[in-house]
Amino acid sequence: MNKILVVAVREYIETVKTKTFLVSSILLPMLMILLIFGTEKIGKLAEKQIVKTRAIALVDHTGVVTSALQARVAAYNRQHPQRKLAFEPVAPAKADLDALRADVRAGKLYAYLVIPADVLAPPPEDAPPASAPAAGSLPGTPATAPAGPACELGRKDSTLEIQMALQKMLDETIARLRFERHRPPIDYDLVRRLETPVNLREVDVRSGQDTSGSELIRFMTPFAFMFLLFMGTMTISQGLLTSVIEEKSSRVVEVLLSAISPTQMMAGKILGMVGVGATLMLIWGAVGYGGAESRGMGYLVTPYRLTFVVLYFIPGFLLFSAFLAAVGAACNTLKEAQSMAAPLTLLTIVPMMLWWQISQNPNGILSVVLSYIPPITPFVMILRVCADPETPMVQIVSTLAILWLAVVAVIWLAGKVFRVGVLMYGKQPSFKELLRWLRYA
Amino acid sequence: MINAIELTDIVKRYGDFVAVDRLNLAIPTGRIVGFLGPNGAGKTTTIRMLMSIIYPDSGSIRVLGHPRAIDVKDRIGYLPEERGLYRKMTVDATLRYFGKLKGLRGTELSARIGETLERIELADWRYKRVEALSKGMSQKLQFVVTILHRPELVILDEPFSGLDPINMEMLKNLVMDLRREGTTVVFSTHQMEQAQRLCDRLVLINRGRKLIEGTLDEIRARFSSRMVVIEGEGDFAPLERIEGVIDAEITDGGARIEVPKEVDPDRILRRAIELGRISRFEVQRLDLHEVFVKLVQQDQGGPPPARPVAETAGGGAA
Repeated sequence: MNKILVVAVREYIETVKTKTFLVSSILLPMLMILLIFGTEKIGKLAEKQIVKTRAIALVDHTGVVTSALQARVAAYNRQHPQRKLAFEPVAPAKADLDALRADVRAGKLYAYLVIPADVLAPPPEDAPPASAPAAGSLPGTPATAPAGPACELGRKDSTLEIQMALQKMLDETIARLRFERHRPPIDYDLVRRLETPVNLREVDVRSGQDTSGSELIRFMTPFAFMFLLFMGTMTISQGLLTSVIEEKSSRVVEVLLSAISPTQMMAGKILGMVGVGATLMLIWGAVGYGGAESRGMGYLVTPYRLTFVVLYFIPGFLLFSAFLAAVGAACNTLKEAQSMAAPLTLLTIVPMMLWWQISQNPNGILSVVLSYIPPITPFVMILRVCADPETPMVQIVSTLAILWLAVVAVIWLAGKVFRVGVLMYGKQPSFKELLRWLRYA
Repeated sequence: MINAIELTDIVKRYGDFVAVDRLNLAIPTGRIVGFLGPNGAGKTTTIRMLMSIIYPDSGSIRVLGHPRAIDVKDRIGYLPEERGLYRKMTVDATLRYFGKLKGLRGTELSARIGETLERIELADWRYKRVEALSKGMSQKLQFVVTILHRPELVILDEPFSGLDPINMEMLKNLVMDLRREGTTVVFSTHQMEQAQRLCDRLVLINRGRKLIEGTLDEIRARFSSRMVVIEGEGDFAPLERIEGVIDAEITDGGARIEVPKEVDPDRILRRAIELGRISRFEVQRLDLHEVFVKLVQQDQGGPPPARPVAETAGGGAA
């Protein structure tokens, strides 16, 4: 045990001293803070560009929309003096779509917009009303397209801002015209007033704090906790892989084995690396908490959530580091090792890709099933626990039990591969050879 | 006398390949024992089993009276054939780390490091990184890592490979020092000359089996033939055809001719005088190298591929 500690301490100190650690512990969180809290500033910086007025050819088959749109564009241009729009009316009789498209392609026009004659007619009664984005879909997903005659916008780029601005102008202009043409006439401004959305104030039940306006950050919180775990795991598993391969290729391992058994060596390295992982997460966690607190969102970091981060962090790290210690021992170069570890790396991408679905439906079948796949259990469970404080205790206990069983099994197998592999040089072993090693040891 | 190491009927297989085949071996305490054999003979495998790095399929091992070396690792020093140190660590940190792994602590460890570095003339390098050392210096450091904890048993796997004559001499003196202190030393080597000069006892193995064991004299006594050494100018090729000659090695500057004890060396001298001018004539017993080659050759049932002395680099890992 004493010797395991000696190995662990060296592993810890030597890893913490490396530049890689410095980069991942200090630079990475700084970058993340910059990204999270600097988004507004960065956004402003991105918009800082003087665009010459964008000319849009307007083919108005109704004959009445043009003047209303011109008024709205003037208002828009006052708000966005650096990115003006200008409508250039084209008489419908002279309008040639092919010529307009050619002009847009050639850059003479920014876009062209065609408004059909029947756009002012009220939509048929059986047409489904435009609905809000479906629940559970990513923010930014567009609403289902409304029925009725379509206006046509043709352009080269895909700037979302312009598309949204034009959509809003058209919506309001045409709706107002439809109301005016209705018999008997309806006061559109009154309807707008009556349709004012209800103010829904959100409150965090633990702190009683008004949390309206921070929805996005609260949606992102489970992801942030999972990302913390993910980055920690990836960093230390890379570190372990590198250190095993380095010791093997420099033959230090031969000298080490004169003093300790391969099992002690592996145990020491894993222990040291778990320490490195804990240090990293402590630094990031502190930075994250500090950042959240400074924006009045410290209530998102609860003891409940932190408890689970620790509970799942330890077996998760053990599983990854044992697996990667064995991979490192079996291989001779970092490249070989990385390709051998690829299946595991790919598996960890699953919770990264499905995080939105999991955190929006923390008790759905997908989430529950994924919780029971050991290497990704910690990530999935952190997402679930952060998204729903009422995650069934039975599932928490059973996923932890399965995770720990997997940890014991992987450490046992990895120990065997490590014992044989660490003294084997030359070509990378095939899967069949690995199985034979399991029999030797 | 108690034996430091006892191996009884050790067998180790890798799949179909038998690396060590029913090996019996007793290494007496306080002696320097040479462990000889060609590449792939099973030397490193045997040493790794001695160190409990790998385990035999059958047979029993006793090291310093214990069935497993793991229990007595702090009393053993082992210098592996393929060896390396952490390049980024300082000399001091390296010795401190391995010293701790061998059970040394605190002031005793610091004192030991100081006095050992003094002895191998590396004191000025104490706080330099290992990567700054020359090859010879890192070999010395490597050796010191092995013996820092003053082990009772030292196992050296090819300690002389890749050393220049100066460092080889220095290492040899360190080994002699160990012996004076009563340490048991086992070392494997290809270099018969070193083995002949250093060892009290020799063990020769080939294809995982022991061919011969004993003192240099005992081993030489197994072969009664004599080596007639001639130096001079002339064409000595006809000497090969003298009746009774077992083997002959003819060069421009002379000849080495092996004859049975019964053949009178004078006959060869007389013939040689007819063939050229003789500057040296000597009758020797076979040296260790020749015994080694003969034994391995007999065991393999054919001539050996090359003089084993020349094969010092790499290999031997089976």
